[in-house]
Amino acid sequence: MLKTLLKKQMAEIFRNYFYDPKKNKMRSKGATIAYIALYALLMVGLLGGIFALMAVGLCGPLVEAGMDWLYYLLIGLIAVFLGTFGSVFSTYSSLYLSKDNDLLLSMPIPVRCVMASRLLGVYLLGLMYAAVVIVPGVIVYWLTAPVTAGTIVGGVLMVLLVSVIVMVLSCLLGWVVARISLKLKNKSFITVILSLLFLAAYYFVYYKAQALITLLVENAAVYGMKIRGSAYLLYLFGCVGAGDWLAMLIVTVTQAALLALTMWGIARSFLKIATATGSVKKVRFEHKAVRAQSTQRALFGKELRRFTASPNYMLNCGLGILMLTAAGIALIIKGGALGQTLADVFSGNVGVVPVLMCAAVCLLASMNDMAAPSVSLEGKNLWLAQSLPVVPWQALRAKLDVQLVLTGVPVLFCALCMVITLPGSALEKVLLVVVALLYTLLSALAALALGLKMPNLTWTNETTPIKQSGCVMLSLFANWFYAIALGGLYFLCGNVLSAAAYLAIFAVVTAAGSALLLRWVKKQGARIFAAL
Amino acid sequence: MLNIQHFTKTYGEKKAVDDLSLHIAPGEIYGFIGHNGAGKTTTLKAAVGILQFDAGEITIGGHSIQTEPLACKQLLAYIPDNPDLYDFMSGIQYLNFIADIFGIPAAERWARIEPYADAFELTGDLGQPISAYSHGMKQKLAIIAAWIHDPKLVIMDEPFVGLDPKAAHLLKGMMRELCDAGGAIFFSTHVLEVAEKLCDKVAIIKGGRLIRSGTMEEVKGDDSLEEVFLELEDASC
Repeated sequence: MLKTLLKKQMAEIFRNYFYDPKKNKMRSKGATIAYIALYALLMVGLLGGIFALMAVGLCGPLVEAGMDWLYYLLIGLIAVFLGTFGSVFSTYSSLYLSKDNDLLLSMPIPVRCVMASRLLGVYLLGLMYAAVVIVPGVIVYWLTAPVTAGTIVGGVLMVLLVSVIVMVLSCLLGWVVARISLKLKNKSFITVILSLLFLAAYYFVYYKAQALITLLVENAAVYGMKIRGSAYLLYLFGCVGAGDWLAMLIVTVTQAALLALTMWGIARSFLKIATATGSVKKVRFEHKAVRAQSTQRALFGKELRRFTASPNYMLNCGLGILMLTAAGIALIIKGGALGQTLADVFSGNVGVVPVLMCAAVCLLASMNDMAAPSVSLEGKNLWLAQSLPVVPWQALRAKLDVQLVLTGVPVLFCALCMVITLPGSALEKVLLVVVALLYTLLSALAALALGLKMPNLTWTNETTPIKQSGCVMLSLFANWFYAIALGGLYFLCGNVLSAAAYLAIFAVVTAAGSALLLRWVKKQGARIFAAL
Repeated sequence: MLNIQHFTKTYGEKKAVDDLSLHIAPGEIYGFIGHNGAGKTTTLKAAVGILQFDAGEITIGGHSIQTEPLACKQLLAYIPDNPDLYDFMSGIQYLNFIADIFGIPAAERWARIEPYADAFELTGDLGQPISAYSHGMKQKLAIIAAWIHDPKLVIMDEPFVGLDPKAAHLLKGMMRELCDAGGAIFFSTHVLEVAEKLCDKVAIIKGGRLIRSGTMEEVKGDDSLEEVFLELEDASC
């Protein structure tokens, strides 16, 4: 029974790698391997590469100081933090809100089997995020310290233990969100606010962690003794990776007990939460006058409603709205001091400031990619968009407009705050705003194009198109690539080109890319949408 | 009103519908019956413009669904077999959305919605999210939304499934009323008694091919529609 459910869960998670929804048939082996290789390259090459560099910086000094366990503790905690952060937003819906709840619960399937199969999804997502930190961390350790049987077993065990801790924490936080959500009226927004509070805590810890890690490395012996004395379990956790067999045994047993306790707690309330209808008070409808809207505005309103109705959608595809606004406000408060610091740091080439600031705006805006899953999110409602008297481009434009408005306005706000507070010539500042806005257009079009090329209309849980789809992942990486290229390339050609000329070239290239993509979406994309 | 000529649709190697021709005139309630997988839904979806097809022509009010889809869709309303509506909207938000798409003036909307919402006993629930609706309530909402723009042609896939007896009776009345006003109805059903009593014309499809069509009298003669249908099914096996 469990095997069947696990198979179904795996098939749903990895469906897009094996199945081509456009051709309605299985992909060829070559295409499947290419998809998986591309995904692995992006995750391991890009994210894993960043954390490998960090691990190299930490591993050498700590191993040299004989504090191998402290290295593993730091890497392990970072992995737990990233893994939990990556999966917690979708745990609630993954565990409890699947559309096949009624189907599965009506069949003679033990509830614990349904729960276990859902937990597999949560586990894999957490593992994916945690692995980009812990796997490079373990490899770097094996390359730096002497390799023994203990360090090899310890390293592998460390990966498993971290992934289990991530799952336990995600489940506990998901359970808290579920309990709160059942008692609330405006569930979507409260869930978002709670998640944002978690996010704020995450960034606070992340901000403090930078200084803390530096302090720890510089005073490894002193802090090592303190941790060992006051938090012995953390010390043991670090010792696992360093090859301490006794630590492996103790931590594994402790983890198993913790996991069992969590599973027991979740199992007790699973059925109640999964079948709960919430505490929404029924209000009798009373007719009020409404204003008629144009077709395009009605479609835009529909897309906006879909976005604001789903905490999962808002948190995974709309965080840039908050980040850009917060960055703009921070600039208003501390922009003067930052401007002075940047002017001092780049006194030889002040032109770099507007370029880097423009790249920063683009990087923050890259957290918005609501257009990418918007096609897949039509799901079983697709018949409506196709049977109503609207051309496919109108339906697609509404999806595009949501991202343009929800990203463009905060981008403009943040860019204007930069223009007001940071150094640079008038032309450079105008170009900063122009490039940032053109990037907003390009990224929205790219997200929509990817959504059209990689649709998944047969999901049973909205987490699948929002978080586990290839188009969302590719869109995110493409946006990062653009922002990094914008900032990085200037250091290569800054001596030849002025900042204004450099930004102007980027503006032209971005505008040209946008024009090409717009043409594609309007013609080819519309055809794809009509034929879905 | 709806003219289907030599319509053919294949899925990969399999011919789902083969050379189907039908004509639904204004004022007619046209029933479409056949076993599961016979090609009914494929035909209905193609007629509505949500399924591309390989050969043939489908016109609505003289407009081709392939070359003038918007002109066709302005005239028609479609209700699928499983009304998956926008769960993130309330009932009234959904009706207003449909009204906006069809350009119905705000002042006229409530006058069009209220009689049907009252008759289906759905008025009090229009403020509720669609996610809280039962299957039958969603079906009723889909029917109200279909009638909101005064369509000339209504295409329905198993419209009576999920409706309570009162709502089913009401829908039959609405169908007849629309046809008396010059509209046309084309719907699929497995409930042969309903088809027999309600339809002016009927078409029977099997394995993607039309095996009989015409007025109810022409198709069934002195027998019941059920007897004729079962006989035709057996005969072509």
